[in-house]
Amino acid sequence: MRGSHKIEIENKRLRYDFAVKRNITVIRGESATGKTTLITMLQSLEENGRDSGIRLHCDKPCLVFTTTRWKESRDQIHESIIFIDENQKFVTSQEFAEFVAHSDNYFVIVTREKLENLPYSVDEIYGIRISQKYAGFKKTYNEFYRIYYPHGITGDADMVVTEDSSSGYQFFKRAYQNIPCVSANGKSSVASKVRSLKGQRVLIIADGAAFGSEMERIEELILHGYDIILYLPESFEWLILASDILSDPEIRDILSHTEDFVESELYMSWERYYTHLLVAKTQKTYIAYSKSTINPNYLKDKVLNQICEMVPRAIRPKVDHLK
Amino acid sequence: MLNVYFGSCEDEIYNPPAFFVNQYEDEWITTDLSKEMIKDVDKSDVISSRVIDSPVLGPITPRELSGGVQTLMLMAYDESGYTFNASSCGNNCAKWILKIAEKKDLSVTLHNIMDFGNGMFDIRILNEDKIVHNMQEFVETAIDYV
Repeated sequence: MRGSHKIEIENKRLRYDFAVKRNITVIRGESATGKTTLITMLQSLEENGRDSGIRLHCDKPCLVFTTTRWKESRDQIHESIIFIDENQKFVTSQEFAEFVAHSDNYFVIVTREKLENLPYSVDEIYGIRISQKYAGFKKTYNEFYRIYYPHGITGDADMVVTEDSSSGYQFFKRAYQNIPCVSANGKSSVASKVRSLKGQRVLIIADGAAFGSEMERIEELILHGYDIILYLPESFEWLILASDILSDPEIRDILSHTEDFVESELYMSWERYYTHLLVAKTQKTYIAYSKSTINPNYLKDKVLNQICEMVPRAIRPKVDHLK
Repeated sequence: MLNVYFGSCEDEIYNPPAFFVNQYEDEWITTDLSKEMIKDVDKSDVISSRVIDSPVLGPITPRELSGGVQTLMLMAYDESGYTFNASSCGNNCAKWILKIAEKKDLSVTLHNIMDFGNGMFDIRILNEDKIVHNMQEFVETAIDYV
């Protein structure tokens, strides 16, 4: 499945309006905001159809995955948006992650678990709140809001920590020549790496498209005494593509509405899609891309400068010394 | 005191709301503590042990209370000896968990980093058998487990 899908569901008292545009959307937040009520409405509609008094508008079927359905009929569901309520333990399993990886369905998962097996985006973690747009109406209108917004990026860091240990790390190590740059060797080690650097101002560079599972830990460190600057582009490969180094109109078009190009069955996250796209587009060129080791041409002045132009000014590497 | 185990333990009830609807007792609903928790978290008023007035859903039964409040009531009143998954509760339940633990020795599991606010507290981390006193200590310990 691909694309963005708008969902409107309502009964006499409640209405939810939201859209999903990646294969994994996570809903969390405070208690009593209507997360389970949303799932209950979908379940009632599924069981009773029109008799439920619930109306649903969506261009794809919306279904609820219970533990029973997960065990017994998961392979019969295609091109659907699957909702999963809180406290369903199977969502933390490797088996579920493998199912999602090759699924032509989208998943909306209500959970406070970090789900480290699933590469979901920091942009697709939502809470539910009452929309003020319709305040005063008899019906309650609920909307989704992004839980993690980009922090204001300011000032110089004492240390750069990259999630990546290969090409991305090699690139930023070269770009930030005046600041020590270390790799956390994977997203799940970023929080503990930052903890070991307590007292220093740390710039974290990680792939936003797959960093969702780590955001709560990083946010809690920021809230409780750690000086962290977060830079979360979709991925290092996205950064290269977005720098327009290839001057390719097709790439510009893809980046402006990526959701219409990423087939969920083939790419578990947009980060993997961008890697595939960059490798394909640079094949047999002087900047042929490899994820494992950076092509030295990416470290030369002109290319390096152009990619660094994509980094927000406040934290942009000072690359003048390379000219 | 509040005892927290990060991750699952043997006697854990991972899905407390499912447990609640089959095990709660009418008397739990009308205690002062439950009324306060229901008002604070769910913004709802207890009318009687079987009827609660919700501003969004209208009249509901205890079965339709939020999973967070249902879990809080289990922590406060259930005597089965199970350990309840506190990740069923949002951060708006955290102060109530601390309050319940003032009156009894309460053990819970956590699968995320609950934010207990900026005050001081005593929480025993069962994974390491150590006591933490503020959120910075709590977070620094939690990131090794959840």
